[in-house]
Formats: sequence, structure tokens, C-alpha cells
Amino acid sequence: MIIRIFLILSAIVFLIFGIASNQGNSSKAWRKILFFILAILEVIAVIFPELTTDVANLFGVGRGTDLLLYFLTVAFTSYALIDYSHRQSSRKELYELARKVALLEAYTRYRIKKE
Amino acid sequence: MMNNHTAIIVPVYNEAEVIGGVIKSLLKHFRYVICVNDGSKDNSSREILKTKAYLINHSINMGQGAALQTGMEFARLLPVDYFITFDADGQHDIKDVMNMLGELQKNKYDIILGSRFLGHTAGINKMKIRTLKLAVKFSNLTTGLKLTDTHNGLRAFNRHVAETMRITMPDMAHASEILGIIAKNKFRYKEMPVTIKYTEYSKRKGQSVTNAVNIAFDIILGKLKK
Repeated sequence: MIIRIFLILSAIVFLIFGIASNQGNSSKAWRKILFFILAILEVIAVIFPELTTDVANLFGVGRGTDLLLYFLTVAFTSYALIDYSHRQSSRKELYELARKVALLEAYTRYRIKKE
Repeated sequence: MMNNHTAIIVPVYNEAEVIGGVIKSLLKHFRYVICVNDGSKDNSSREILKTKAYLINHSINMGQGAALQTGMEFARLLPVDYFITFDADGQHDIKDVMNMLGELQKNKYDIILGSRFLGHTAGINKMKIRTLKLAVKFSNLTTGLKLTDTHNGLRAFNRHVAETMRITMPDMAHASEILGIIAKNKFRYKEMPVTIKYTEYSKRKGQSVTNAVNIAFDIILGKLKK
């Protein structure tokens, strides 16, 4: 019982942080909806654990825990990939910026005019 | 005779021990020596400032490819017609640079690439040769160029190439990227033998063989993204 309370509370916290994070970007809207749906699903799965097995059977998987594990694997892998490509692109931006700073500094030092 | 129409681009990363000497020997022949200090953790930038070479300082380490790109962007603003990329660890021979420049001008090539396997290479170990040859095969297959050495730091090219080149691969994968750019733009290219001195210092500093795996992955991922 204690674990259920803990899990439901964590879902609520997760929801609040997910939705409250105000980054002012409209493309984040669909992410908030996803957060909301995930949190609700989590609460449902915690209150009615046998439901996950019903869903698992629907997909031809024996137990709900197995289905959750598979789901988690896919979610984690895709998260890792998305994170990797995000970091690559922000690294590219950082490098562009550092190059610009380096060049500006050198132009000033050697009094080179850039047209 | 002083060469006033060529820019030598030297990417520098933690080379304080030798960079002063390398610059001095370059400045004897070339007026424009451009050192890109790629966020070195040692006194490289101070050593460069002591000389008459141009210093460009990356505030963070971004890799040799990124340093070459920065150096090229700077060098384009100088009144030069030809560009050289030259490793900072003193493994290249200035005589080779002269030969390459002569050939570039005389026979109107766009770019001349140095090759260890056409020339004389002292002190290289077998494992390194094998890795490099594998890299050559892989690269010839993917670019369609016919080369004997694909990861050589010594290159000479004209302004047209310098204006076209945009290196985005920060690390050692830039060598393959440059070949891709040559193939795509159908530059007139030629390989010339160069002598590489594998001193204890350059061996200590050089690329590890395992890095070849990183390079291969970078190339494949780079291709997938396009």
C-alpha cells in the first residue's frame, strides 16, 4: 500500500514539473500533453495493476510486468538517441560560437578588417 | 626567398614543447603562419605569441578539424593565393611543402595531398601502417578517389578550395570529410610523397590506433545524416 502512495505521489510531482516547466516554446506543447497522458496511465497502472496484464495479453505478451519492461527498453533507447542528437547539435552551435569569438579576437589583435 | 602568397595553417593542441621551433623554421620561408591554438592546457598560446606567427585562440578544445576550419576562415582574409595545412608536432618537412607548392602552381592543381606511402617514413610501427592502409581502402571505397594515404596532415591548395571547404567534423574524421569535399566538387587533386618523421615526441602525441574505430563510426553516421 505504501508503495502505491509513493508511486502516485511521484506521478503527480512528475506531472507538475513536466507541465509547469515554462520554456515558452510552442513545440513543447505536445510534450506536455504526453506528460499528462503518461502520468494518468501511471496512476491507473498503480491502482489497477491487473489492467496492465490485460493490455499485455492484447499484444500477445504474457504478463503486464514484461510489457512494461519492453516499453521501458524502447523508451530508454529512444530517449538516449534523441538526447545524443540534441547534444550533437548543441555542440555544433557551441563550436560555431567559440570559432566566432576566436576569430573576432584575432581580427582585433591583428587589426584585420572583415568586410 | 620569402614566400608572401601562401598561408600556413597549423592546428595546435598541447604542443608547447615543440611549437616554437616549428614556427621558427616555417617563418624562415613563409610570411603568413597561422597557428590555431585549440584550447591547449599547456603554454602553447604563450609560445606562439612569442613568435611572429598569427595566433587564433579557441577557448575550448574542439578538435583538429575545427581548428583547421578556423584557420582557413582567418587565412582567407589574408592577401594569399595558396594555403597549406601543417601539423604542429614537427613531423612534416618544409622541403615537401615547397615541392607541393611548386606542383600546385605549375600544373594548376586545386589541391595536393601528402602521402606517407609514396615517400619515406621513418620509425612508424606495423600496426599503424595496417590501420592506415585499412582507412585508405575504406575511404577510397566511399569517396571514389584513388589515394594511397588518406590521413595525412600535409595539404596544399588554392584559394578556390579554401573558399569552398567547410569542415564540420571536429575531430580526426575531418581528414575523410576533406576527401569527400574533393570528390564532390571534382577538384583536380594529386598525391605527392612526403617524409614523416615519427619522433618519440610525435609518436607519444599521435593518434591511437583504436581511434580508427571512432573515425569509421563518425564517417558512417555523417553519411546517414545526409
